[in-house]
Amino acid sequence: MAAEYPSAAALYEAAKVVRDAGFKRWDVHSPYPIHGMDEAMGLKKSWLSAVVLAGGISGLLTAATMEFGPSSFLYPLTVHGKPTNFFTVPAFFPIMFELTILFSAFAAFFAMFIMNGLPRLHHPIFNWERFSRATNDAFFLVIEARDPRFTEIEARNLLEKSGGQHITIIHED
Amino acid sequence: MSDRSQALPTPEGEYFESNRFAGLSVLLGSVALVALAFSVVGAMIDPHQFSFSWLFAFGFFFTLCAGCFFWIIVHYATDADWSVVVRRQLENIACLLAVMAVFFVPVLFLRHHLYDWLNIPPGKEAALDSKRAYLNWNFFVVRAIVFFGLFVLASQLLRRFSVRQDKDGNQQFTIWMRKIAFASLPMFALCLTFGACDWLMSLNYRWFSTMWGVYIFAGAAGSSMSLLVLVITALRSAGYFKNVVTVEHYHIMGKWMFAFCVFWAYIGFSQYMLIWYGNLPEETQYFLVRNTESWWTLSMLLVIGRFFGPFAILLLRSIKKQPHRLCYVAGWIVFMQMLDMYIIVLPALHGTGVHVSIWDFVSLVAIGATLGFVYLQIVAKASLFPMRDPRLIESLKLTN
Repeated sequence: MAAEYPSAAALYEAAKVVRDAGFKRWDVHSPYPIHGMDEAMGLKKSWLSAVVLAGGISGLLTAATMEFGPSSFLYPLTVHGKPTNFFTVPAFFPIMFELTILFSAFAAFFAMFIMNGLPRLHHPIFNWERFSRATNDAFFLVIEARDPRFTEIEARNLLEKSGGQHITIIHED
Repeated sequence: MSDRSQALPTPEGEYFESNRFAGLSVLLGSVALVALAFSVVGAMIDPHQFSFSWLFAFGFFFTLCAGCFFWIIVHYATDADWSVVVRRQLENIACLLAVMAVFFVPVLFLRHHLYDWLNIPPGKEAALDSKRAYLNWNFFVVRAIVFFGLFVLASQLLRRFSVRQDKDGNQQFTIWMRKIAFASLPMFALCLTFGACDWLMSLNYRWFSTMWGVYIFAGAAGSSMSLLVLVITALRSAGYFKNVVTVEHYHIMGKWMFAFCVFWAYIGFSQYMLIWYGNLPEETQYFLVRNTESWWTLSMLLVIGRFFGPFAILLLRSIKKQPHRLCYVAGWIVFMQMLDMYIIVLPALHGTGVHVSIWDFVSLVAIGATLGFVYLQIVAKASLFPMRDPRLIESLKLTN
């Protein structure tokens, strides 16, 4: 069930109402980020940062293994009179740095993909004609029917109470 | 968001009550006087050691003040809104550059102890003769006057306009200050780079590094942001800035500390690695002194304490959002900046190992207490935050 709101401020207040009513599977859509919306929606800290940290650490360890393994243990080769033990680490830092970033970026990219449920070619919300303005000048709040608290009457009352307009039920097909 | 701003009334300015802190002011003033008197004694009885100690203390406090100046001009140049509420304190600290100009005078008097290139007559050393066009006494003095003249002029103008805007709220001042900021950006970069080369790099006239100016800048920007956190927290614990500076501002300041912690390491490592890899005697001499004997311990402490430790800690969002915990990190970073300056200056004198002298502390206390005293006089003269700044409301309701 979807509703349209006249302004970002109205959407912000409506999000607080829906949050306090205890709904879980719902979302807001606006053409630009609204500061403070995370809190208004009751979103917790995303787990993306943990995935990125894991990616970064694995990049660092990969670089360290791939560099010190061959250069210090498997086939030590003296280059430029530099040592082959731990103290050759300045030469290895750039690779460690690059792989840390590369792996973090991959982790962030793919974790975002999974969190957003991508790749996904179509969503029922696009069946609603008004919704095409979500990237232009309109503000929407959508409560999904699979939310455990969802009943048609309650959702409609809530959206009406919070000042929603053009309240519509959107079907799958 | 528009609806949230209605909940916040335009605040009145807040004023530092100097009579509440008269005791602190008198204490700092008298400590400064005693330490300055001791400094004169030090310059008399042990001028060689004292001149290096003084330059160390001067460099430490100069980078802190210049870093605050940098944050002001970046604030205007980027039209930032988050930093409006903390900007007055940056202005107050940047104004101390005028005091630093006075404290540079002893360096001029003690020049023959500090800078070998002044003592070698022309024709003796080819490596130096090729640098004489730049490294000569007259040009050195002219440069120092130009650097300090521009720093003092720009920092005074920025503060003066900002305070005048408190009275009438004229938005024209913001536009003027933005113009000053744009003119100051290249000026700041050139003055800090060449100042760093003149006063610190030329301690060893044979050595050179093209990363030097950026390296000093990276340390200055990160440590002055940490100093700002400390100053703001001190004022908050004295009862000011309630409902003005919020956790969100701390979060941003913490992010800047983190960014410049990484940037410092990036620049410092870029400088080190190229010299280490190239392995040319005239370049490696700087690090050879600092990586051997007892200096090695301090260098390692700097690498770990200035980068690896704060990096790991500041990664956590919870630390950046807790003012008192962030203060521990900020204090540590300021201390590391001091260590950095110590490792830059003192090995030029004690090439064989660390040799802590009483004059190091006397110089630090003398300059630090004087700056603290002058700061307390300046801070009481105007509101603690720019109360008529056109972006004040946006800054107050910051979320990130």
